[in-house]
Amino acid sequence: MSRERTRFAAGLTLACTLFAYTSGLGQLKVVTTLPDLESIAKLIGGEQVDVYSIATGFQNPHFVDPKPSYILRLSRADVFVTVGLDLEIGWVPPLLNSARNSRIQKGGEGYVDASTNVPLLQVPTSASRAQGDIHIYGNPHYWLDPLNGKIIARNIFETLVRLDPDHRSIYESNLKKFTETLDAKTKVWVAKMLPYSGTKIIAYHNEWPYFEQRFGLQVVDFLEPKPGIPPTSSQLLKVINEMKRDQIKIIIISPYFTTESADLVARNTGGKVVTLATSVAASEQIKTYFDLFDYDISQLLEALR
Amino acid sequence: MNLFRIIRILLFVLCLVGSDAAAQMDSTAVADSLLLLQLQRSMQQAAPSIQQQPAPRSSLSTNPDISAIGDFRSSYTTIGKRKVETYFNELELQVVSVVDPYARAEFLFSFGKDLNTGELGIELEVATLTSLSLPYQLQLTLGKFKPVFGKVNILHPHYFSFVDFPRVINNYFDSEGMFMEGASISWLVPNPYDFYQELTFEVGRAGSEPNASLVPGETDQLLCVGHLKNFFDLSQNSTLEIGFSGLTGPNRLGFSTFIEGVDLTYKWKPLRYNVLQSFTWQSELLFANMRSTDAEVLRTNGGFSFIEYQFEKRWFLGARYDFSGFPDDATRKEQAASLLLRFQPTEFQILALEYRFTDRNYDRDFSQVLLRAIFGIGTHAAHQY
Repeated sequence: MSRERTRFAAGLTLACTLFAYTSGLGQLKVVTTLPDLESIAKLIGGEQVDVYSIATGFQNPHFVDPKPSYILRLSRADVFVTVGLDLEIGWVPPLLNSARNSRIQKGGEGYVDASTNVPLLQVPTSASRAQGDIHIYGNPHYWLDPLNGKIIARNIFETLVRLDPDHRSIYESNLKKFTETLDAKTKVWVAKMLPYSGTKIIAYHNEWPYFEQRFGLQVVDFLEPKPGIPPTSSQLLKVINEMKRDQIKIIIISPYFTTESADLVARNTGGKVVTLATSVAASEQIKTYFDLFDYDISQLLEALR
Repeated sequence: MNLFRIIRILLFVLCLVGSDAAAQMDSTAVADSLLLLQLQRSMQQAAPSIQQQPAPRSSLSTNPDISAIGDFRSSYTTIGKRKVETYFNELELQVVSVVDPYARAEFLFSFGKDLNTGELGIELEVATLTSLSLPYQLQLTLGKFKPVFGKVNILHPHYFSFVDFPRVINNYFDSEGMFMEGASISWLVPNPYDFYQELTFEVGRAGSEPNASLVPGETDQLLCVGHLKNFFDLSQNSTLEIGFSGLTGPNRLGFSTFIEGVDLTYKWKPLRYNVLQSFTWQSELLFANMRSTDAEVLRTNGGFSFIEYQFEKRWFLGARYDFSGFPDDATRKEQAASLLLRFQPTEFQILALEYRFTDRNYDRDFSQVLLRAIFGIGTHAAHQY
C-alpha cells in the first residue's frame, strides 16, 4: 500500500512538473529590472510573454541586491529589459556575468536597453564623483514621462518581433492600443496639471526632471545636497529659506526615502510632503504603467488644491 | 426717447461685455489648442520609426573598466616592542572588461608593503578569463583566482566588513585567503524545488605564497576544490545561504591535506529601506586533516561567526567570534572576540574601527585596536551578493 502511495505521489509530482514546464512553452521569458518595464512588456507581449521584474516598485532602483535567485531567472530568460544609463550599474553586471546566457548579454539578441531613442535630460558636460551620484549619460529616470513610455514600448516591441516574428500582428496590435491609450491619458493628465503649470516644488532626490518637464512643474531644489548624499542641516536650512521666500508649499519624496527630513522642512515652512510613486507597484493600487501616472497626478492635485 | 437711449446703451454695453467674454474664451481655447498641439508634436517625436538610428548610450571606447582601491591601516597592540603600526597596507588595481561576446577578463594587481622588510612588492592576485555563454548552465574560469572555499575566502579584503580576515583563514591559508592557478567550472544545478544551487569544481595549483595547509607541490598532485552553494529566498527581505566545501592538495610536508568546510549566511534587508537598514549573520566551520607522516594525520579545526547590523544609512555595528587551530600543530589554539564600528559615507569610502581581544594557549593574550580606511576611484565592478 505504501509503495503504491509512493508511486502515486511520484507520478503526481512528475505530472505537475511536466504541466508547469509545458504550460510555459511557447511564451517568451522576459526579465526586466524595474516593474515599469515589466508592465509595459506585459501590455505589449500579452499572452505571448511571461514577464518578471527583479526590483519591486517601492525599492530604490539604484540599490538592489544581486541575489543569486535572480541569476536563475536570467539564466532562462529570452529577453532582458534594462533602464540603462548606468541606473542599475551596481547590480545588473554581476547578475549578467553569472547568468550563463549569451542571449541577454549586452549586444545579444534579447538584450533591450529601454533608453534607446529616449531624448535625455541633464546630460553632464563634465563628470566627477565630487558632484555625488551623477549619471554620465544623463538622468536615468526617463520612464516618469509617459511619452517616453511609448519609446520604451517600441524598444520592447522590436525585440519581441525579432525573437517571435510569428506573433508580430499581436504585438503590433498591442503596441497600437498601448500608444493610443497612453496618448489619450497623457492629454488628460497634462490638462489636469495645466492650472498648476510653473508651480515651484522641492524634491528629495533628483529623479523628477522628465516628470516635471511633461507636467509643467518646476523642481527648484532638493533635500539631498548632492545626488545620493543624505540631507544635511545646512541644506535643509537652505531649502527652508527658499520655501519661505518663494512661497513653495510642496515637497515630493519617493517611497524608499524616509520622510523625517521632509517632515522637518514641512513643519518649518507650512509645506506639505507628498509621497509620489516612482514605479509601478509602489503601492497596491498601482498595477500598470497607466496607474502610475493616475496615482501621481491625483496625489499632486490633492496637495496643490 | 430716454427709454430708447437707455436700451441702446444697454445693448452697447452687452455687446462690449459679450465681445470681451468671447475674446477671453477664444484666448483660453487657443492656449488649450496650442498645448494640445505641442503635446501632439511631442507624441509624434516620441514615436520614432524602426529605422531610426539609436543614439549612443555609452562612450565609444573599448577601454576596460579600471579602478584603484587604497587600504590604509593603523593599529595598536598591547604586546610587543612596536605597539603602534601605521602603514599603507595595499593598493589594488583592477582592470576588467569583456574580451568578446563569449568571455570577460579580470586582472587584479596588489601593491603592498612587507611589514617585516619594508619593501614594496607587486603581486598579480587575479588574472582570469571567464566564459559568458557555455551551454548547459556551465561557466568556466581559467587563470589565477581565489577558489570557492567558503564565503570569506573568495572576497578581497576591501569587501570584508571587518578589518582583517578571520583567524581561521589566516592560520590555514594566508592573511588574504587562498589563491590558486588553474581552472574552475561551475554549474547551475537544476532541481525540482527551483532554488539556486551551484556546484563548482576547481583544479590547479595553490597560488601565491605557500601557506600552512597547502603548497603548489613538486609532483603531479594538484589542488582540487569543490563547493556546493544553496541559496534560498526566505522572504522578500531575508535570504539564507548554506554552502559545503572540500579541498585536497599537497602540503609542505610532502603529503596531502584534506579540508572540509561548511558556511551559513543569513541576510535581512528591508526592500523598501534597503540602504538604511540591514543585518547579516555569517558563520563558517572548517575541519582539516593534514597528513604529516606516513603514520600521522593532524586533525584540527577552526571557524568564526559574525553579525553585522546597519542602523543608519552610513553606520554599521558588528561583532565576531573566532576560534582556530593550526593545520600543522594540533596543540596550538587561539580564539578572539571583536567589536566593529564602520562608517561608510558613500560606496567609495569606508572607515572601520575594530577592537579585538585574542586569547592564545601558546603565548600571551593581547588586545588590539585597529583602524582601516578603504577608498576607491575609477569604475570598480560590482560585487557578487
